[in-house]
Amino acid sequence: MAFLEWLQGTWVGQLVATSLWGYPLLETIHSLGMAMLIGSLGLINLRVLGVKRDLPMLGMRQLLPLAWLGFTLNAISGTLLFTSDAVYFFESYTFRIKMVLIVLGGLNAALLGQRVFREAAAGGAPASPTAGTKWIAATSLVFWFGAVIAGRLIAYTP
Amino acid sequence: MEFLVWLENTGIANAIRTIPWLYPTFETGHYIGLSLLVGGILLIDLRVLGMARALPLKSMIGLLPFVWAGFIINVLTGSMLFIYGATNFGTNGAFLLKMGFMVLAGLNALAFDVAVRRSGGVWVAADRPPALVKGFATLSLVFWICVVTTGRWMAYL
Repeated sequence: MAFLEWLQGTWVGQLVATSLWGYPLLETIHSLGMAMLIGSLGLINLRVLGVKRDLPMLGMRQLLPLAWLGFTLNAISGTLLFTSDAVYFFESYTFRIKMVLIVLGGLNAALLGQRVFREAAAGGAPASPTAGTKWIAATSLVFWFGAVIAGRLIAYTP
Repeated sequence: MEFLVWLENTGIANAIRTIPWLYPTFETGHYIGLSLLVGGILLIDLRVLGMARALPLKSMIGLLPFVWAGFIINVLTGSMLFIYGATNFGTNGAFLLKMGFMVLAGLNALAFDVAVRRSGGVWVAADRPPALVKGFATLSLVFWICVVTTGRWMAYL
């Protein structure tokens, strides 16, 4: 807790908390990063589940840089938003749920990447993923949309 | 202004004010819609501009139904959020700018659509979008980023 209090007292935390443009600017970046991450990862997951079969499975790999860009933007903007009110966010159950969902979503994405692109490479196009892989894609959508929902609800819930 | 006052006092607006979970629900829906709408548009525009060439241009333009789904979700949730604070939002500079950018983005999308139809799908199939179309894709990215930015700024004016 001492660390969190120190964090929100640093000049970065104070700048985000008190400047006129700091918080809205970071929130805007966080929204755009979300669109990049959910847009690209969501499409990969839907493709694994059988939507948009005209997209070649192996080619979906080329969407990963956009997903990473969105993730990086949001890790940075999210961390800065966190520093503005570190104690409050840390104590928020909804914030903690969001963090757990992001960790689960990340692990899931890593697992999915490994399986999908291996299966696609081995089976040739158009690959049809195994039931296990489809299950991972479905839970991935739940985790990431869950993170969006939890993130929006931090302001309204304990 | 009278219209905004009337809007703010309709039964729906009163319900949004009195039922505590309604406003956050619409807001959350607005973010899910944003992910579909802007996420889909980003993918299409960036593909037109040359990202992820292994994915056929035609298939990526075929993501438009997701964009439309996001757009409809956000028109509905956005209208609900608007009537809740109509007198405030209706006179909010950031909101008016946001509507302006949405009109620009819409006209731009229309121009893009016309360009696709006029070509008879030739450059789509050949994966060679003309410079003009790449210009539309770039403008589209700019306009939608402005829509998100001004939307986020509404709460701070």
